[in-house]
Amino acid sequence: MFRIVCLLALMLASTAVLAATLTVRVRDGRGASVQDAVVYAVPEGRSVAPPKRVAVMDQKNRMFVPHVLAVQTGTAVKFPNSDDIRHQVYSFSSAKPFQLPLYKGTPSSPIVFTTPGVVTLGCNIHDRMSAYIVIVDTPYFATTAAGGQVTLDDLGAGRYAINVWAPGVRDAPAPVTVVLTDGERRDLTFDTRKGK
Amino acid sequence: MLDAVLHRALAVPATIVLAFAANAAPVLDWSGFLSLRAASSADERPLETDALSAQAQVGLDWWASPAFGAHVHLVGRTDDRDAVRGHAGIAEAWAEANFHPAADRVRLRGGAFFLPTSRENVDALWESPYTITSSALNSWFGEELRPVGIDATWTHQRASLGATLFRGNDTFGALPAVRGWSLSDHWTVLGERFPVDAEYFTSVSAENDGRAGWSARASWNGERLYLQATHIDNRGDGLDYGDLDNWGTRFSIVAAEYSTEEWTVAAESGWGPTFVFGDGQKFVTDIDASYVLISRRWDHARATVRYDDFGADARERALTLAAFWSPRGPFRLGGEVVRASDRYRVMLEVRYHFAR
Repeated sequence: MFRIVCLLALMLASTAVLAATLTVRVRDGRGASVQDAVVYAVPEGRSVAPPKRVAVMDQKNRMFVPHVLAVQTGTAVKFPNSDDIRHQVYSFSSAKPFQLPLYKGTPSSPIVFTTPGVVTLGCNIHDRMSAYIVIVDTPYFATTAAGGQVTLDDLGAGRYAINVWAPGVRDAPAPVTVVLTDGERRDLTFDTRKGK
Repeated sequence: MLDAVLHRALAVPATIVLAFAANAAPVLDWSGFLSLRAASSADERPLETDALSAQAQVGLDWWASPAFGAHVHLVGRTDDRDAVRGHAGIAEAWAEANFHPAADRVRLRGGAFFLPTSRENVDALWESPYTITSSALNSWFGEELRPVGIDATWTHQRASLGATLFRGNDTFGALPAVRGWSLSDHWTVLGERFPVDAEYFTSVSAENDGRAGWSARASWNGERLYLQATHIDNRGDGLDYGDLDNWGTRFSIVAAEYSTEEWTVAAESGWGPTFVFGDGQKFVTDIDASYVLISRRWDHARATVRYDDFGADARERALTLAAFWSPRGPFRLGGEVVRASDRYRVMLEVRYHFAR
């Protein structure tokens, strides 16, 4: 039993050592860090595993939480309403147009996002509420916090197209193709410009 | 010229909705509430209310697509406050179109609607999650202001601008100037004639002078802080039209709200002149109403304190304490105590919410 445990631990450690790490910083035209930017790495020439988790876009204090939610294509998203007032969530983005009826609590069925793209959310009762769901064709993604930086640390060796999407930026930066080797650590910086 | 623009503008959202209805799978939803209420005896302004009352409010929402839809808000009640045609009717009826140019949002709404300014009536059907009855300011708006026209809102990141062109509301201003302020939740319905005094009525549907009114607002929305400024001018001519006197009212409001998941602090302050002609003379009354509320929310309960300060010829103040408890799903039990000058009103309510 002890030998089996040691062997499993060695296998897991070996996997971690083999994975490449990509750190991406996103900044605007003035060099300031961009929060809520979605960084995603699309592997080229190989398929990806389907999504397993259910994501959540909550409504708290008359705001969507989070403001930007990144999910893999095929992910189901729940829309719980944690406020004690009703909301009416809608999207008429082509990637997933939908409308939920007025509700408190959690709607009975989550919504599955099956088309890559960006979905803009709003509330028909409260104009100030807005958020984005970014659907990407890869399990390798993350959203920048205030520091404008993310680290993708579970990338296998191979070729990837690194993409960035940020709210308010009309023309996304051009994707950058990288070829990663086992255990490699790479840094990238993307510059965005606000759309007009 | 404003009237011509208003007539054409009202046709736009209705036309768009009808066009999309032909090519979409429409969705019809409904939601609302039933309430039973008991109140201690209160015969004088601003606390006048029936001892026992019941009301039902229903919202019907029809959406041709996520971008285009229509809404009707129906009200039925036992306490009509001696109004004519005040027991049941339509409080709101509008069609709406939403656009998202770039990252902005543009909303066009046409019909009869509450002006979207209140910081306390923030739930659907213009309900308040904070208290049973509204502040003097929003009680007045619920009784005497219902723009019938078109409203446009443009939201860009944290800033928002709105403008309204409307007909009706020619008697807006009569209630605070003549009858006095109230602390209530009587949302008048279209066509209702609400008593001002023994001789005169007010009506949100009153269109006597053929002059369109207007309103403009601007707001800024931070993570927790919300600021808003609004101006309303009903362009009433102040002339006598039988038992519906026109009042010319210009009213400005500033509002602020700070909220976390548990706490909300909201305040509004409104002021402006209202005038009417009588016996060849112009009578001007300066009216003002302000409130500040602090509310704390728990999982199934909420408690609120609200202070009101309002005046026309005389100055009045009121303190409201309200508490809500939602023990099971759609039910809400509420209690409210209001002290205004030396008078008290205690109110208990059971409210049942329903939705499709």
